[in-house]
Amino acid sequence: MKLKTSQSIAGFTLSEMLVSLSLSFIVLAAAITCGVSLQKSFTAVDNYFSTQMQQIRIIDYLNRDVKRGLVVTTSVDLQSVTMSVPKYIIQAGDPEAIADPETIGMPRTPTVAYTTSGWQVNYSPSMATVVYSISGNSILRTENGVVTTIASSTDQLVPKSTDVELANTEYAKTSVTFRPIFTNTDQSAGTSLYATAYLRNKRRG
Amino acid sequence: MRISQRTVAPGNVLLCVLCTILVVSLIGGNVLLNCMTRYNVVSSQVRSWKESLDAAETGGDIAYAELRKTISNPTNAFSPSNGWTYSGGAYANSPVTYGQDNLRTSSRVDPFYYDGNGNAWYRIRTKGTAPVLGLKRVGMDDRMGPNTRGDSLLRKIDFNYDHFVATYGPNGDGVGQTLVPVVDANGNPQPQISRRVELIAAPMTPFEAAIKAGGTFYGLGSAAYIDSYRSTTGSYDASVKTNPSDPRYPDSRSGTVEINSSVATIQGSIYGNLYTNGGTITKKTTSISGIIDNNVPFSLSPFAMPSTAGWNYVSSPTMITPNTTINPPVVNGVPRTGSPESPNYYLVTSFANNGNLTVNPAVIGGVAQETYLAIHVTGDIGQNTSSQPTITVPPHVHLEVYFDGNFQTKAENIINTSGYAGNLQFYAISPTLPNGAPDPSVQQTVDLNSGGGSTSGFSAVFYTPSANFTINGAPDITGAIVCKNFYGNGNVHWHYDRALDSAGDAVDYRILSYVEDIR
Repeated sequence: MKLKTSQSIAGFTLSEMLVSLSLSFIVLAAAITCGVSLQKSFTAVDNYFSTQMQQIRIIDYLNRDVKRGLVVTTSVDLQSVTMSVPKYIIQAGDPEAIADPETIGMPRTPTVAYTTSGWQVNYSPSMATVVYSISGNSILRTENGVVTTIASSTDQLVPKSTDVELANTEYAKTSVTFRPIFTNTDQSAGTSLYATAYLRNKRRG
Repeated sequence: MRISQRTVAPGNVLLCVLCTILVVSLIGGNVLLNCMTRYNVVSSQVRSWKESLDAAETGGDIAYAELRKTISNPTNAFSPSNGWTYSGGAYANSPVTYGQDNLRTSSRVDPFYYDGNGNAWYRIRTKGTAPVLGLKRVGMDDRMGPNTRGDSLLRKIDFNYDHFVATYGPNGDGVGQTLVPVVDANGNPQPQISRRVELIAAPMTPFEAAIKAGGTFYGLGSAAYIDSYRSTTGSYDASVKTNPSDPRYPDSRSGTVEINSSVATIQGSIYGNLYTNGGTITKKTTSISGIIDNNVPFSLSPFAMPSTAGWNYVSSPTMITPNTTINPPVVNGVPRTGSPESPNYYLVTSFANNGNLTVNPAVIGGVAQETYLAIHVTGDIGQNTSSQPTITVPPHVHLEVYFDGNFQTKAENIINTSGYAGNLQFYAISPTLPNGAPDPSVQQTVDLNSGGGSTSGFSAVFYTPSANFTINGAPDITGAIVCKNFYGNGNVHWHYDRALDSAGDAVDYRILSYVEDIR
């Protein structure tokens, strides 16, 4: 028996090669573009979520301090918030800590005094000062000179939107807004978070 | 037979497809992982953090409600039947579980200070705990920089052990640190967040205005006036209220009248504010120096006899006769002075119509001591308008008189020679039914019907929220009155002492301070 071998194997013609290469480039370009876009989207979503988490954290930090604060004031340019809070915990350098280092980190027992404005509860002779401020894309919390960066956005925090309004020093209304960096077409687009916290203490100052 | 050999290899295409799917899946997986982590933080950890504060404040409310019972219902305050125990000078309750998320809260209440009136100030420490559901992992936001602290500095999650007890002990005072696993109600491991707040409950004293009427008001005479001063800065001077250059002028115009009714007939001059509940008072028809606000409702709770558990009971006298003098009891050869929170306590079952009570201070080494007494009269003090019971209180004596019935006498028969109204305090115990509820069928009265002349009068305070108060004549009064309905038609000169705003028994509690323990 004689086997018949096919002799029809042949290469592509030049035109076929050009067409196939062109198609391959188009497909490859589309794939690369999709990949880059997906990566951009991933980064943007990651930044968006991260910044939103930081919005929540800023609000939570502020509200916690406002609730235990005695006085809350906002700078005229709405760039910083200053509040006085009781020194509840003994810290290094305090007179009690110098007298007995083992008291560091322990709570103080309050004292009571009658003043011309009525009864007053004191945890220590002086108050702790807490300042929230904007530094570039970061929000700083400074308590008695100790700085902590509580939020550092990879997206653009809109500085003027950190807005604390005080009415009769009874409550603080806060909003934090950021603008996602992937938004090119609409500069006003962004996400805002609002909160209202009431000062729990009766004392002012 | 002829066999055809195929030399086309399609595996390359499949490989490309698989690689593409892999890349896309990796990217998608990363997105999902990040989304899940963020979702976990937002839906579980942030929520639990907020809920734990809600639980802690709920515990504060529970303790505060119990604390108010020490005024309105002392026998049932901090009752074991409600889960409260007393140990080490503090009340504590067993954890209360509530809500759909099984939040838990517990409280500890201890009196940490007694003021000059003997009223206790309480510190309320509460702990609120919320379970952390979802994935047992930390957030991703501590990664932002070397000095950046994200969630873990703010929201301290106990994944395995209670970090607070391990570091500071169960009461936060550095005593009894131990590892306590965090578990749910069934004893199964359960991450949780606990937040702690400390509240200070301060007693509210009753004499914050010259006259406070829970019902109607009529008075005073057309030539009467109500003004004020502050005894801690000097004695009363009638000319101060019309002399703005006097440094005591600001204290001279706080003779405030508060009326929880629209029925108010105002006569005379008020150097202070006037508040009514729906009244129509205007400055055109009255002489009032301060603010007029016709929309200030308030309520007066019935007054119950305070707990005498810590007081020094003295068995005699039990009756006030026409000639009764109380000298402090002598203990171990020394007259007992008592104290604001633990006065010498007398239970009197009869106060004669012509009773004459004199209370002397303790004298030690020839020097009169500040002496504190409380007398509970279980009936009336004076039984008709001709009654003339007399009470005499010299300097250094601080007397509180509690009475269950009515009070009738002349103004000049209330003799407080110290001149400070806070040294002579009268409290009318509200009538109650056998079950302890207020008895509306019994109307208490305080009747100073024969008010005496302008040179007579008294220095005293009355807290009689269930009694109708009547005063006639034109006495000179230093003090404050809280009553139900007020009636006075004489040309009374009424001087409210601003120092009284911190005097008297507690009639309620208010939260004065709030601190969160952020350790």
